[in-house]
Amino acid sequence: MDLENQKRVLDLSEKYGKENMAVVLGTSEAESAGLTAETVTAGDPTFAGPLAGVSLGLRVYHIFELKDQVDATVYDEQCGMMEMVLDVDAINSEVKSIRDQYCQFKD
Amino acid sequence: MIRVVHYINQFYGGIGGEEKADVKPEVREGIVGPGMALKAALGTDAEIVATVICGDSYFNENIEEASAEVLGMVKKYNPDLFIAGPAFNAGRYGVACGSICKAVKEKLNIPAVTGMYVENPGVDMFKKDLHIVGTANAATGMRQAIPAIAKLALKLAKNESIGAPAEEGYLPRGIRKNVFKSERGSKRAVNMLVAKLKGEAFETEYPMPNFDRVAPNPPVLDIKKAKVALVTSGGIVPKGNPDRIESSSASKYGKYDIKGVNDLTAETYETAHGGYDPTYANQDSDRVLPVDVLRDMEKEGIIGELHRYFYTTTGNGTSVANSKKFAATFAQELIKDGVQAVVLTST
Repeated sequence: MDLENQKRVLDLSEKYGKENMAVVLGTSEAESAGLTAETVTAGDPTFAGPLAGVSLGLRVYHIFELKDQVDATVYDEQCGMMEMVLDVDAINSEVKSIRDQYCQFKD
Repeated sequence: MIRVVHYINQFYGGIGGEEKADVKPEVREGIVGPGMALKAALGTDAEIVATVICGDSYFNENIEEASAEVLGMVKKYNPDLFIAGPAFNAGRYGVACGSICKAVKEKLNIPAVTGMYVENPGVDMFKKDLHIVGTANAATGMRQAIPAIAKLALKLAKNESIGAPAEEGYLPRGIRKNVFKSERGSKRAVNMLVAKLKGEAFETEYPMPNFDRVAPNPPVLDIKKAKVALVTSGGIVPKGNPDRIESSSASKYGKYDIKGVNDLTAETYETAHGGYDPTYANQDSDRVLPVDVLRDMEKEGIIGELHRYFYTTTGNGTSVANSKKFAATFAQELIKDGVQAVVLTST
């Protein structure tokens, strides 16, 4: 996750409170989804950015996991195409595994 | 308690990316960036007393001066152990880590360890002098790299004996050691041969060095009649980088038509190459890809003609495997187009 986005997430969590935030990912493959999810929960695994050593433990989901929460027409328009070409199961299970390990909010 | 000084670049120091690569060395008490992970991995036997941060460009452009400055900072903290990086596949960072580790080891007589990806240019430069822990090629390998570096570093600091590269996780240094084996050499050799014939796995006791020598082609018979092509790893592209060639770790190359182009100008061409100051390449891309000079040579009859297309990619962090793949593809096109000689330029 690039350094500016780490800073944005950190600032937003300080402004609104970690409990009032969820991060929704749109990354296209499992490894990068996992790394991004790890950054906003356990901390920056590369130790280069503002979230190095900062474990926010935020709720984090990939948009594919939230399919049922989104208006079907909007989802189809925005994500339908990518859902067909990407490895949805691998992405979802990677993000879930990070969430289970590091998310502070078990709801 | 083992006192440790840690060296990192401006990026891991949180100062900034390429735009801050010219910052001079500075020292901070305690841990910074990856030092957090290193502290956890070193455990209670060691303490990181200071972190030295230096811009990669500054270090590489002023190697002697920067080494002396950093060495002074390290010495002040009187450490028992020095750790640099890890630098992964960042070339200038790798060279900086290697140079400073070598200086600390030789001038201050303090054990020094760093970590790099096997293709980092710093590996070939310093593997004979240093223990360099093998890492992944990107910072996402930090979690695996740090414990390996910490483990080896503690062993060196405690003056424990260091095993073979494969056991300890460092890159082979080309050092041979005598060991006793229960079976004699001829028997071991035959066992290996039998395993090989059966298609089973076996491990050689003497890997052949890989020099990657490229046999030179026969000379061009008549350069005055030859069709000459330009190929570059310096990332020169038409302005706007239409094929979005990556600024580092390129996954593709571009092929561009220069029919009727006599000069690459700041308005028409630029470099896509990251990792160095592109100002002069952007002002006049002929500095990297000399179309202007080859046009002159074409006119003067020094060469037969300049090929209509040039091929380009960025060499910055691009893997050897990708580079070979690109060249294998476009070399066939060059041959098919009747090109007899290639001028290959880099940054």
